[in-house]
Amino acid sequence: MKLPVATPVGYAGPAGAVTELSLAQVGLSQEVELVRIDLPVEQMEPLLERGLLPGCRLCPVRFSPSGDPIVLVDGVLLALRKEMAGCLCVREPGSKDLA
Amino acid sequence: MALVGPPNSGKTTLYNQLTGLRQKVANYPGVTVEKHLGRIVLPGRDTVEIVDLPGVNGFSARTLDEKVTREVLEGRADGIRAPDALILVVDSTRLEPQLMLVEPVLEIGVPTLLVLNMADELAAREGEIDDAALAEQLGVTVVRANARAGEGLDEIREFVESVAERGPLPPRPCPVISNVVSTGGVSLPVVDAFAARRRHIREVGEAARYRPPQPSVLSQRLDNLFLHRVWGPLIFLGVVILVFQAIFTWAVPLMDGVEWLIAGSGGWLADRLPDNWFRSLLIDGVWAGVGSVVIFLPQILILFLFLGILEDSGYMARAAVIADRAMYRVGLQGRAFLPLLSGYACAIPAILAARTVEDERDRLATIFVTPFMTCSARLPVYALLIAAFIPDRPLLGPFVGARAATLLGLYALGAIAAVVTAFVLKRTFLKGQPSSFMMELPPYRLPTPRSLGLRMVDRSRIFLKRAGKIILAVTVVLWLLAQFPGGPDNPPAVEDSALGTIGKVIEPTIEPLGFDWRIGIGLVSSLAAREVIVGTLGTIYGIEDADEGSMALQERLQGSLDLGAAVALLVFFVFALQCMSTVAVMKRETAGWKWPILQFSYMLGLAWVGAFLANWLI
Repeated sequence: MKLPVATPVGYAGPAGAVTELSLAQVGLSQEVELVRIDLPVEQMEPLLERGLLPGCRLCPVRFSPSGDPIVLVDGVLLALRKEMAGCLCVREPGSKDLA
Repeated sequence: MALVGPPNSGKTTLYNQLTGLRQKVANYPGVTVEKHLGRIVLPGRDTVEIVDLPGVNGFSARTLDEKVTREVLEGRADGIRAPDALILVVDSTRLEPQLMLVEPVLEIGVPTLLVLNMADELAAREGEIDDAALAEQLGVTVVRANARAGEGLDEIREFVESVAERGPLPPRPCPVISNVVSTGGVSLPVVDAFAARRRHIREVGEAARYRPPQPSVLSQRLDNLFLHRVWGPLIFLGVVILVFQAIFTWAVPLMDGVEWLIAGSGGWLADRLPDNWFRSLLIDGVWAGVGSVVIFLPQILILFLFLGILEDSGYMARAAVIADRAMYRVGLQGRAFLPLLSGYACAIPAILAARTVEDERDRLATIFVTPFMTCSARLPVYALLIAAFIPDRPLLGPFVGARAATLLGLYALGAIAAVVTAFVLKRTFLKGQPSSFMMELPPYRLPTPRSLGLRMVDRSRIFLKRAGKIILAVTVVLWLLAQFPGGPDNPPAVEDSALGTIGKVIEPTIEPLGFDWRIGIGLVSSLAAREVIVGTLGTIYGIEDADEGSMALQERLQGSLDLGAAVALLVFFVFALQCMSTVAVMKRETAGWKWPILQFSYMLGLAWVGAFLANWLI
């Protein structure tokens, strides 16, 4: 089951290159770079400790039967909830730094 | 000396190899929930104490595991000196994320050995690491190991020996373990700190020419099946059904065997002993009481065998993912699946396993509903009452009999109570933000017979110890109470004895449920542990029967309960928290009496009302 690809949510840069999406919008096997985690610190920390840090590469490899994403981060399979995936702000790797 | 490392990196396997001890291990993060102390005997020298710590991803003390680990490392744990050296065990197939722990561990400032575990798997999946370069980068000794096969143990022993030769470190101020990298006294916001550490690790990894392994092809194929949209949930259900089928069907011949052994040995002993008070105590008291509980050993062993296979193979983590959505709806989460499933064996390991639930509110909710899972201690009671009161006739077609259906109904009743309780709890006492759930999915591994065997030996030891201690003590006390007034040579009728008096005192409170004073004594004694009621009734009827020849316990029960009261008793056991060990573990795990008292009263109230309704309706 492929999710619809790339409906932009983020700020479109001056060049018009919209690059920020939420992880929930990323299709299977599409490698992306984590930009930001929109979660309170207590909920963010377990992610950080598992290497889910801004700048890391992640790739949704499959969906669980309930449609929650399972992502590959640094060679580790991590199952997330789709609600949480919605709070992970990502972009295509190699795109220009918006800051 | 202490073993530290992230969850599921193989610390306990290594610990078992080093010490020859038998700790339970599994391919599921968070199996070690307590610190374990052991000794390594060095050739021709003294011994070194080694602590196996629960796996942690960091030291923020957010979870109980992190708190335990921190206490030990900072030397604040009871009876354990701050370690003189550390062995940091990491899974080399997930090296970079696991190395996030290196920096805070090195900050402690004691000699540290870095063990790259599962090196065989790294090589098999075409990963690479230059350990000499890694050692240089991090400034620690690095050893490759495969703890399962016992490779790399010699190098680890060498390190232990060098530490032992140097002797204990002088007393030093408590090291401060921080989760935040301090750069020149300025502590960065938490995200930046982690990012900085991650960058450092990446540089280290690059310098050590680390090449992460290819994803395991076998694991991918298995996940295609086990996490399939249709097959995944079906297999999940199949596995749960298989476990129950095994406990209730396959265990029966074994249990019959044990029963035969106990009855046979009891009869053999009775024939050889003179007919006096000692024979009465031994045969009517101890043999009848303890024996009626030991019968359930095969069932418990089979359950733990299956749980072991599920955990060691890596399937349990997938099961947690599949269960998450449904559990989320009732206010729990996928990580609660393992504790709840274990709860069908025994609430005590289950409540400990709830530590793997990271969110504190979810953990409390999980602990609170775990005792509703039908633990194996209820089984003797169910089995006895069902056999005595429910006719063995087909109910739904030829396959589902009335007895099996009753048993299933009791299990369902417990599960429903758990779901409703969790649902209400998460909307009242434990209301809060929706919790986060994430689960690492380890690669599938073949369970080793050794690991499964150790687990089963461990479980049977605990079970027999319980049967031996609590149940033996209760049976002997009951037997003694039944001898007075009058003494063993001239025992009174049970009804007039001290024991009977106790039963009579509580009879009014349980009369509305249809129970008489004998059941009352059973209920009081089962406060220690549920299954004790079987032994108690065995003892009471055993003594009563001493003159008139033994009648089966079932027949005696039929004389003292009607169908409504029997169902009421079953319902009572579904709900009531009659287990002092569970209460004690809850007190420890929730750090106070509030939760256990609340839990006990709630479950007792529910049990009384449920039993009353059952007796009134039937």
